[in-house]
Amino acid sequence: MNASSQIDMSVRIGELVMPNPVGVASGTFGYGEEYEALLDIDQLGALYTKAVTPEFRAGNPAPRLADTPAGMLNSIGLANPGLDAFITEKLPGLKTRRCSVIVNVAGKTEDDYLQVLERLEAEDGIAGYEINVSCPNVAHGGLAFGTEPAQVERLTRRLRDSLIARAPGRGRRPLIIKLSPNVTDITVIAKAAEAGGADAVSCINTLVGMVIDTKARRPVLAMKTGGLSGPAIRPVGVAMVYRASRAVSIPVIGLGGITDADDALQYLLAGAVSIQVGTALFSRPEAPLEILDGIRAFMERESIARVDEIRSILR
Amino acid sequence: MKRFDTTVRSLLPVAEGYYELRFAWPTSDNGATDDAPAPGRFLTIRAGGRYDPALRRPFAFSGYVPDATSAIAEASFIFQLRGRGTAHLAALKPGDSLDALGPLGKGFSKPARGCRPVLVSGGIGLGPMLYLARALAADAAAGLCEAPVFVIGVRNAGFVPLVDLPSGTVICTDDGSAGFKGTATDYLAGFDPGLPPAYYACGPAPMMAAVDRLARSRRAPYEAATEQWMACGVGACAGCAVRLKSGAFARACIDGPVLDGSLVDWEATR
Repeated sequence: MNASSQIDMSVRIGELVMPNPVGVASGTFGYGEEYEALLDIDQLGALYTKAVTPEFRAGNPAPRLADTPAGMLNSIGLANPGLDAFITEKLPGLKTRRCSVIVNVAGKTEDDYLQVLERLEAEDGIAGYEINVSCPNVAHGGLAFGTEPAQVERLTRRLRDSLIARAPGRGRRPLIIKLSPNVTDITVIAKAAEAGGADAVSCINTLVGMVIDTKARRPVLAMKTGGLSGPAIRPVGVAMVYRASRAVSIPVIGLGGITDADDALQYLLAGAVSIQVGTALFSRPEAPLEILDGIRAFMERESIARVDEIRSILR
Repeated sequence: MKRFDTTVRSLLPVAEGYYELRFAWPTSDNGATDDAPAPGRFLTIRAGGRYDPALRRPFAFSGYVPDATSAIAEASFIFQLRGRGTAHLAALKPGDSLDALGPLGKGFSKPARGCRPVLVSGGIGLGPMLYLARALAADAAAGLCEAPVFVIGVRNAGFVPLVDLPSGTVICTDDGSAGFKGTATDYLAGFDPGLPPAYYACGPAPMMAAVDRLARSRRAPYEAATEQWMACGVGACAGCAVRLKSGAFARACIDGPVLDGSLVDWEATR
């Protein structure tokens, strides 16, 4: 038996076991099919879908993107085909995936989130839910929910109560609350999610940012501000994962500017049990699988048997 | 579509601040003609460090030369020196490596028989339109379509591209320092195509809007190659939205870049 076969890469989130700790972040990977030719999706640990809202959303006016130092701004505005079209057009393809398919859910009101969740609970092929309470690009909902601890707790509890117990061995689908870094103290929101019954939190979503075209004397983005992502925000994400993971006892999923295995290991050492790769996909679509290989190599080198042990070895 | 590392063959200036970059295009697993770098399609290039800039830069193909004697063909694109990504490209030398992803998107369709293909280029729209003009000129020589007319609009004589232009190319300069004095669409307003025209264009939004009005007035089809900042390039992120008159959005990367120009809301495009 060689060393690698003794390594356990699986990650437990609530009652779900993901095959490995490397996921692709919501909004950067569509519904998977778009990347079919560029990487082996079955090798991923988890695929977090583009946000699903009850209704079709055309999204924000263009331009929606801006280039920034070691990063980018986006202001997509949760463009998505809506719940019905997601179920009929996107879910059949997602059901064939070997990785854990986590549906990212967004809405304007609590009832919106609840409506999406209740409908999806009746569908097969979904491993869990990531609740977007932190989108900086939507006027109502999103960030408005994610910065108020009482609202996060209440929304989490309502969603948690709507989740059904499944057949033995399949478990209840986990509820992951995606946290915003655009708050004074992320631990307060993380604790609110935990108090409401969340199985995990993912952090961080994008930071609010703006780029101004000085020649045109106007913001580059049509919506003026957008969400900053990419390597530029990595130290912020690592610090927030470090703090959040010490404030709650539920798992923390780390994301924000991860481009290689060393970046991912920073998050895992800081306290995350798994990670997501987002903006790096745009530059190098094969990055998630290189990161997975790099984490495995680190574990072999350091004689670490289980990936969730990495968070306990930070000096 | 695939991501691959290739090498720069040449980098030559074509006008003030404009360059054409030629690079090796591996054809071994690219034999299918429906995945060829056709006119109007594009590729993305990683222009700089591994993740800074974080976004790859999209460029329309300006040419593609298959080589029957080897597995390596040659593709090219024209870019304007505009920011840090293109500054990196402008410093490349023959033999340097290039990280390419493509071919992506939907290209131009062939003109109907009996129609005059009228091609219009403004600014950095030159690359895809030059490629289409050369392809249609070759098609016309083979009797597959009518001879195209190619109208290039530039600011002044310094921006006239120093490349082989197909016969039937008209240069327009804003200041009259070369060719027709006025914009490309000024020229086209007084131009008699002889046959029912079919318009193809790539350039700044005001020019694209003017071609839209012209095509409408002549009840002619209009294929427009759109430009937008892109992140994924494969239809996943919805970043490269182009607003349509219906209020809906098209994704330049996968619904386009070539769209029905009569459907695009050019006033909302910048």
